[in-house]
Amino acid sequence: MLHSYLKALLSSHNIEVTESKESILNIFVEDFKEEIEKAIQINKNLVDKYQIRNKIKDITGQWVSLPNATVGKAYQHKVDIIGLGWDTMVFTSMEGLDELGMAYDNENEIISGTPSFSGDHKIKFLYRLQGEDDQVINEKVFNFIVNPNPRSLWKNIGSNTDDIYWKADEIFDNQKLGDRQIVVASKRGRSHANAGTFRDDDFAFKHFANTGWSIISVADGAGSASQARQGSKIACRSVIDYTEEYFKGEKLVEFDQVLAQHHHNSTDETNKYISTFVYESLSKMAYYAHKKIEEEAVRCERSIKDYHTTLIFTLLKRYEFGYAVLTFGVGDCPIGLLNKELTEIKLMNWLDVGEFGGGTRFVTMPEIFSSDKFVSRFRFKLVDDFSYLMLMTDGIYDPKFIVEANLERIEKWKEFIADLKGSNEENTVVDFNPENENIGQQLSTWLDFWSSGNHDDRTLAIIY
Amino acid sequence: MRRLPVYFLLDTSGSMYGEPIEALNNALSGMINTLRTDAQALDSLWISVITFDREVREIVPLTELASFQLPSISCPQSGPTHTGLALEMLHKKVKSEIILSTANQKGDWKPLLFLFTDGKPSDIMLYREMIPKIKAVNFGSIIACAAGNLADDSLLKELTDNVVHLDSADSATLKTFFKWVSETIEQGNKSQGTGETVALPPPPSEITIVI
Repeated sequence: MLHSYLKALLSSHNIEVTESKESILNIFVEDFKEEIEKAIQINKNLVDKYQIRNKIKDITGQWVSLPNATVGKAYQHKVDIIGLGWDTMVFTSMEGLDELGMAYDNENEIISGTPSFSGDHKIKFLYRLQGEDDQVINEKVFNFIVNPNPRSLWKNIGSNTDDIYWKADEIFDNQKLGDRQIVVASKRGRSHANAGTFRDDDFAFKHFANTGWSIISVADGAGSASQARQGSKIACRSVIDYTEEYFKGEKLVEFDQVLAQHHHNSTDETNKYISTFVYESLSKMAYYAHKKIEEEAVRCERSIKDYHTTLIFTLLKRYEFGYAVLTFGVGDCPIGLLNKELTEIKLMNWLDVGEFGGGTRFVTMPEIFSSDKFVSRFRFKLVDDFSYLMLMTDGIYDPKFIVEANLERIEKWKEFIADLKGSNEENTVVDFNPENENIGQQLSTWLDFWSSGNHDDRTLAIIY
Repeated sequence: MRRLPVYFLLDTSGSMYGEPIEALNNALSGMINTLRTDAQALDSLWISVITFDREVREIVPLTELASFQLPSISCPQSGPTHTGLALEMLHKKVKSEIILSTANQKGDWKPLLFLFTDGKPSDIMLYREMIPKIKAVNFGSIIACAAGNLADDSLLKELTDNVVHLDSADSATLKTFFKWVSETIEQGNKSQGTGETVALPPPPSEITIVI
């Protein structure tokens, strides 16, 4: 050991120890044993010290990321000392966590706690490596991103009441509708409230005592269309206006007669008559809505595209033998009819959904009227009775049913009704007792439910 | 919950070396910080960052904003701009990452693409070959940004109608540009008609829309 050290030292000075001089070397080593041992020790210390500096430099340059945290959400992260290649660390500590309401456990190298405020925080990581003096402390800065609590970020900015197309941010109503009750509420979504923009959804309904028919309409203006709030409003109102103006007289009397006949004995003929009646009446209503919006667009020298809106509506009439339910729909808002026993759901329209979120069709698109799928947008049902008839916008359907397939599942509808009746996080209850005059307010409150990522306008109409 | 996937394709070729890449890093991190305080973005935004010079690198795979961490972007001192190769990787990524709606699955919002370059594609053949494929992906919007006088607006025009030009890639200009990008992203999660694209917010004066 001493020999080879000395040889290497001499060699670094270009002095080669030849065989003939080995004996001198042996004696030299004996005579200077202590000094050589000391020199070896000094060199080793220097190397160790250099290696420590080297390691510190590496650690400083190393990109280390702590997973992001969120305000108000419990956080725990173990700093993987070994995995980071820091196995020579003998002491670690952190500075800057206390202020966030968090702590570092240096026994187990765990950061934990619930951060109290957001930001791009700089946390000092203090450490000592093996071989360093006890008082030495090295420092590395960790970036620690704490996201704000998303719920705290939503602002509620009122919409501009001076706008020509202003509408209330929230509205609700409950009334008798023929021999049933209707409750309906429509509320501006958080995404609109956050930006101070308008509610794009709308609804309308009316019962006509002279004919016995009721009509309920719901529409969802396209978020991307600047005047959509007016589009949805015109769409909803104009089908009511059309019903009032044109859906009356002899043809309804004839329909009532055929329907009674159909109920008694359904034939190809009665079926055909009804289909034609439904198609002719409702397609005119839908087209009337389209024309009314177009007129408004022309009047304001705008493109009808600026008024893009979906539209669903239902005509309902009570007969001695049951209820006739006629529907039309364009867009992604479903109409559901639940039987008395809550054992069966009839989805009364198909939804226009594209491959991508938000891609749908609108009653403002002229091509829907000429499409060969147009005839499939109508439905007719004659039922003995029903428990609920619901029309909703995607602001309800997205968070509560999530996907289209769930709209055909009775269990999902049962959950939905239980949710309305109070089985929800916020414990808000909608009481469907016909005596309950407060139900409109209740439904409006229920519409405030929290659902991460679902902040669209919400409109729900329920006939019960 | 619907995701809004946003892809960033960033030119890191030699001409970006030095101050421009520093400016890009700062502007990007500023944009991320802004988005982090946006309720809607924090709830739905997913970001992917791909850089291209001679090599194409996915430096951050598609990650939700809440977990997103932006590494420092560096670039070589010289070398070609393989924009075509970058589009090729992007195409592969988008195809495998985007979730489409079905009766049983909630689809993503239409993805957005931001392409930032200060030069012109060195692999022009591949670039042109990829253009129809990228268009077929059905992005909500493709926004190409040409920075400085060496960037070729007309080649970017072949990829998208939305081409903007920045006079330089200095810190202030890039900051303004990426602020506008974050505003555009905030437009991305709204319902549109099938086949329609995302409307862009009005750009600030530093940005010239290339017609």
